[in-house]
Amino acid sequence: MTDQITQVVIVGGGSAGWLAAGVIAASSPARVQVTLVESPDINPIGVGEGTWPTMCATLQTMGISETEFFRECDASFKQGSKFSRWTSLSKEDDYYHPFTAPAKYHDINLAPFWMPFRDKIPFANAVCPQSAICDLGYAPKQISTAEFGAVLNYGYHLDAGKFSPFLHKHCVEKLGVKYVRANVTAINSHENGDIKSVTTDSQGEVSGELFIDCTGLSSLLLGKHYAIPVVLQKNTLFNDSALAVQIPYTDGADAIASHTLSTAQSSGWIWDIGLQSRRGIGHVFSSSYTTDELAERELRNYITPAVGKKMAEELSVRKISFNPGHRQTFWHKNCVAIGLSAGFIEPLEATALVLIEVSAKMIAEQFPANRTAMDIVAKRFNRTLSHHWQQIIDFLKVHYVLTKRTDTEYWRDNCLASTIPDSLKELLELWKTQSPWRYDEVLKEEMFPSASYQYIYYGMKGAVSADIDSKIEGNVKRLQEKKLRKAESLFMENAQHIQQLKKLLLPNRELIEKIKKHGLQTI
Amino acid sequence: MPSFALLNNVDHKNLRVIRDYSSQYGDDEMSVVTFPQEFRAIQNDYPIFFKKNAETGKFIPVALTGLRQNENLFLSEKGWDSNYIPASVKRRPFLIGIQPPRPDDVSGQPSKMVYVDMDSPRISESQGDAVFLPHGGYSPYLEAIVDLLDYIQYGTDLNEQFTDALLAHELLETVALEVTLKSGERINLTGLYTINEDKLTALSGGAVAELHGKGFLECIYMALASHANMIKLIARIEAKVLSQ
Repeated sequence: MTDQITQVVIVGGGSAGWLAAGVIAASSPARVQVTLVESPDINPIGVGEGTWPTMCATLQTMGISETEFFRECDASFKQGSKFSRWTSLSKEDDYYHPFTAPAKYHDINLAPFWMPFRDKIPFANAVCPQSAICDLGYAPKQISTAEFGAVLNYGYHLDAGKFSPFLHKHCVEKLGVKYVRANVTAINSHENGDIKSVTTDSQGEVSGELFIDCTGLSSLLLGKHYAIPVVLQKNTLFNDSALAVQIPYTDGADAIASHTLSTAQSSGWIWDIGLQSRRGIGHVFSSSYTTDELAERELRNYITPAVGKKMAEELSVRKISFNPGHRQTFWHKNCVAIGLSAGFIEPLEATALVLIEVSAKMIAEQFPANRTAMDIVAKRFNRTLSHHWQQIIDFLKVHYVLTKRTDTEYWRDNCLASTIPDSLKELLELWKTQSPWRYDEVLKEEMFPSASYQYIYYGMKGAVSADIDSKIEGNVKRLQEKKLRKAESLFMENAQHIQQLKKLLLPNRELIEKIKKHGLQTI
Repeated sequence: MPSFALLNNVDHKNLRVIRDYSSQYGDDEMSVVTFPQEFRAIQNDYPIFFKKNAETGKFIPVALTGLRQNENLFLSEKGWDSNYIPASVKRRPFLIGIQPPRPDDVSGQPSKMVYVDMDSPRISESQGDAVFLPHGGYSPYLEAIVDLLDYIQYGTDLNEQFTDALLAHELLETVALEVTLKSGERINLTGLYTINEDKLTALSGGAVAELHGKGFLECIYMALASHANMIKLIARIEAKVLSQ
């Protein structure tokens, strides 16, 4: 067949380019040759330092050793997120979104059984041991747990500046990815509008049958060349700016948090990510509601307790601007965008890297054999990605819309009906009378499990209609004594499980040091 | 908690060590680390499996001494009921410690030191065998211990090479053992690993030659042959259950 797809050209390095290269080279058919063209003059944006547990499978797919990953990428464990002061201004206001689903999630929905106790114990604490383990700063596995094996589900925190070179080396040395270090100066087309090749300044022409746009916010192929428009989402999710800073630990042995700490501010929120050698902290906010100066003030105030007044004022802060939104389509002709070139909403819930993984996996596993098949795969890809983006938007908006904060216009406006997508309005209405569960998962492979909705919804004390308690009582009777008994025993087991885990697990830093020293076993 | 002290003939002049084996001396564990040099002796009585060291996650060969937590079926009223006592048991309460080379040491070799666990219930001043002679020299017992610790040190290095070689050839796999006693009690042994026989038979000639050259092929087959001793362990536990 003449139109067989064998040459994949990825334009752009960074996390998106190298993850796409690795996943496609490792799991697409053997005939496929992946070439990555990277500009020597453009630095990757270097943010995106939190992952979902999907990253374990992604690294495994590429044949990466988890031990090497810890040694090379300044990585640490991430067991979920803790949200502070998102619901109210109270200092005690916080809740967890752990990566481990509620106990026996697929057999029983514990939410209705927890509701009668909702004033006594937070949802996450009642149904899963992970928030207690995060509070202790413990790691999610033991030194004797095999690579990528987990006692509690985990993803990672990583240094994006180290992650790309690490993937680069692996892709080139182990997966046969061809590397072209040059600037793209022109994009050349076939008559049918497909991209034929890219011309580079120093390495000639690079041709291929499938082009992957990983050029970041500049979106060189899909955005500039094909002029695919961006669907802006700023009306729903207001953030469009971030100020990032890195702070050192006061001494080398400081505890490393094993969750992302996310603290709401007056017109945005601050992320706090603990790596082995430093913390990455950033304030993401909306320029429509506050100024850079005020946002920087809040950021510097946030780091002052950790580094002291002097250093807090002196550390240099990096500004990143973005337009929250995504392309109208993601795969156009023989070009598909992965990463920021496809879109970006905001860093909340670390959706950027997981979307890269999902996209790359979909391309690799449904790799089109020929040009005709490509159109069909592209159609599917666009349909699925549109669904994912809509889900991301709804899921992120849930974090804002459930707030009870009214202290600033930012929080008040976030609750205006005009800013809430219809799809989410429906969900919010439904969840007043029945809890999010498996039926909230439409696709087989959703970006977020419905358990995540439970954690956020109940973590933020989402509304349950006035008569819900009597309804629940009625429900409980109808739901059979058996189920109630099972739920009660699961709550008990959870409490016991926490006690056992306390004995088995080590502080995050201690385990990471052990991994670096002894390595994790492969079985 | 053990508290190890560097052994010396001043502080430990009158030190004696009780050499009986019993649960009161902390000998009641269900498995003990073993070393390739003693596989030949071990495989007569004990099943050999692999476990992960809880501190490092690294694989180590172990001799099974029991089937339930904190139960050593080789302990009897007459002491250790076997002709061969594993080296890692016999060394108690001594341990070898590696010290980094001293700055003035031109050889640059780390030095090996003997440590003693002063919290061990074996430690005594009145009972057991003397560690030092009255004038401060090594007693024959201590001489033997020093040799044994050397043997263990060598075996520890060998274990690392052995398990690295097994992993490199993907020869280890998890094994779940379930034993049902006549009483109906079911025992599940978890956290054990063994040789993957399918992978072993499929080894290339080159790999076999490499393992043989290092002496590991013999160890692999002795470990496999030792599994017949599970029957003996089960017989011991049945006898124990009957007598209770």
